[in-house]
Amino acid sequence: MKVLVAMSGGVDSSVAAALLLEQGHEVVGATLKLWGGASDSGCCSVADVDDARRVAQMLGIDHHVFNYTEEFERFVVAPFVEGHAAGRSPNPCIECNRHIKFDLLFERAARLGFDAVATGHHAQVIERDGQHFLVRGDDDQKDQSYVLGYLVEDQLATLMLPIGHMNKSDVRREAERLGLRTWDKPDSQDVCFIEASKGREVFLRSRIALTPAKIVDRTTGEVLGETPAAELMTVGQRRGVLPGRDGERRFVARVDIAAQRVEVGRLDEILISRITLDETSLTFGHGELADATEVLAQWSAHGHAQRATLRHDAGWSLELHAPARPVAAGQSVVMYRVAEPTIVEGAAIVAGS
Amino acid sequence: MTRQYYFDHAASAPRRDEVIDAMERWQRGVVGNPSGSHRAAREARRAIEEARDEVASFVGAKPGGVIFTAGGTESCHLAVVGVANHHRRHHESTSIVLSRIEHHAVLDAAAMMERDYPSVSVRHVDVDAEGVVDLDSLRAALGPDTAIVSVMTANNETGVTQPMDGISSIAKGTHSGGTTVHTDAVAAAPWLYLPMVTASIDMISICAHKLGGPVNSGALIVRNDVPLDAVVPGGGQERGRRGGTVDVAAAVGLAAAVRATARELTEVNDRVIDFQEKLEAALSFLPRCVVTAPDASRLAGTVHVTFEGLASDELLFLLDQEGVCVSAAASCSSGAAEPSHVLAAMGVATARARGALRISMGAETTEEEVDALIGILSSVVYRLRGEA
Repeated sequence: MKVLVAMSGGVDSSVAAALLLEQGHEVVGATLKLWGGASDSGCCSVADVDDARRVAQMLGIDHHVFNYTEEFERFVVAPFVEGHAAGRSPNPCIECNRHIKFDLLFERAARLGFDAVATGHHAQVIERDGQHFLVRGDDDQKDQSYVLGYLVEDQLATLMLPIGHMNKSDVRREAERLGLRTWDKPDSQDVCFIEASKGREVFLRSRIALTPAKIVDRTTGEVLGETPAAELMTVGQRRGVLPGRDGERRFVARVDIAAQRVEVGRLDEILISRITLDETSLTFGHGELADATEVLAQWSAHGHAQRATLRHDAGWSLELHAPARPVAAGQSVVMYRVAEPTIVEGAAIVAGS
Repeated sequence: MTRQYYFDHAASAPRRDEVIDAMERWQRGVVGNPSGSHRAAREARRAIEEARDEVASFVGAKPGGVIFTAGGTESCHLAVVGVANHHRRHHESTSIVLSRIEHHAVLDAAAMMERDYPSVSVRHVDVDAEGVVDLDSLRAALGPDTAIVSVMTANNETGVTQPMDGISSIAKGTHSGGTTVHTDAVAAAPWLYLPMVTASIDMISICAHKLGGPVNSGALIVRNDVPLDAVVPGGGQERGRRGGTVDVAAAVGLAAAVRATARELTEVNDRVIDFQEKLEAALSFLPRCVVTAPDASRLAGTVHVTFEGLASDELLFLLDQEGVCVSAAASCSSGAAEPSHVLAAMGVATARARGALRISMGAETTEEEVDALIGILSSVVYRLRGEA
């Protein structure tokens, strides 16, 4: 098959390209230039493009650079900034995968005559009775099925994830065996357009005015402190919040940017048992899930999946079987199958909790 | 193996055999340091001075005005930074006046000066919809503190030529003594007769590899007595204006390239302008293909077009698969096609600018290649439009 491999310049996609080549596919590498501003590394610096290009050269495959900086700004960075301004916490990596990698790149690959697109994500695609399912990667520590949760059948059918069955250490060993210079490159961790030394606050301040707010105990009404930027407070978080008069830890329960008020409470006061879902974002891999379906719901990249029941009444929501810390609006929740907990059923953006 | 069709002469022209032959002597065995006093040094020095004579005659200047550099970017940098620095040391306020469509070699050199010195400012001159410098805007940008005006002879993306005499007379008329005018003639050099076109200009930058010479070789030619600080002092070479041992092979290569270019100038122009007309006529039949600046005076070798609704990335990819080497004109350090500052300055809509292609030809281009390109490009465009 003719396969377009998205090569980030990291070790995973380097090995993905190498494996496809060994399997006899006709492979072309492409690096997506996403972010034009300052960055440490992440997905899109010039150094990463150089790494991807050099790996492609060593493998003897063609390599192209596709410029998606405008689209990245439009679909990822701007919504990230607007989300924070509105008190939501969107996950930019998910949005990037959805809109850039799996909408624009898939469409482009088809126009350019490719049969499939491959990436170096730690996840897998399996086929059953003509249907394709997204499955967690075999390496528990590195599983990235969460960030791919919005993929649907026609995309899964043309997606190849060559390293999804491997452990990260095996990927590195394979890269070393092949002499690829990315073999010992550190894993990317953070959001690619935010410099680690400056952080989210500096980035957001360069785009919007941040709102100072009082931190108020939701039960007693007592002011526990102040924050220079309510936009940076996420429900469920403890960081930046002082303990109450009783000495117990407090967690963010609600952020009201307009009122310049962050409400906090003790853990037992803020726990939630229902997550409402943004209906327009709701995506099922294979047809709609019925009301009352039990799922395993995961709402952060490395979080644990929790038992929940999908409810479809006035809108869509998830009823959690055990109380949990609140989930910020804008985050994505990915639903896995209860009977086979590695299979992804669908995903949605959290409207509230 | 796919056949290669090379239409990216404006990025780098094919190396000429006579350049290789001329350089060969200076790339093997003893090559004296031209600053020395023994016979090997004298021999090297003589080769450099012969090269200097040829380069001077290519632009119509005196040999003493030729400063050999490591290419176009260095030449432009030396002109902008060298003049601005000298001015800055003698004046309270210094302004650098540039067109918005300059090459980044010029734009970034000026921006660096503005960044590093509070007394230095940069003013940008607008262009019209055809990409020609607006002389009223130039007039407005000039001031008594203007140290240097830099406008390229022809734009490297669109091939549009600039009114050098008008620019020069406005710049010179502004204040007593006049301001220094520099032109980046890198893109124009393969096509225009520089002794005439740049006659009124003080400083001219050229580079060898656009002329079929070696990369990393160029010259800044200073026509008049321009006050200029060295950017790299040390050693006193090139009359103290550029330190470091002069590369004999590079200078000889540049000289061979300008000699060949000058010899063929009329003949190549006559031939390639027919190709340009043929290409543009054929491409204008393709859906939503627009030739850039069709009514402007342009270099014969450049065909710049935009395909509204298509992405340069995709055009380049499919053309590359068919063996066609063209360019999206602007590319960033990563190698990705980038929105062009030139098209933005001309007011070209983003939806068109994103589908920009620069097809550039040269002395080696044949009609058969042009015909092949028309066929391949047509099928690629129809395919991307879903009409194949």
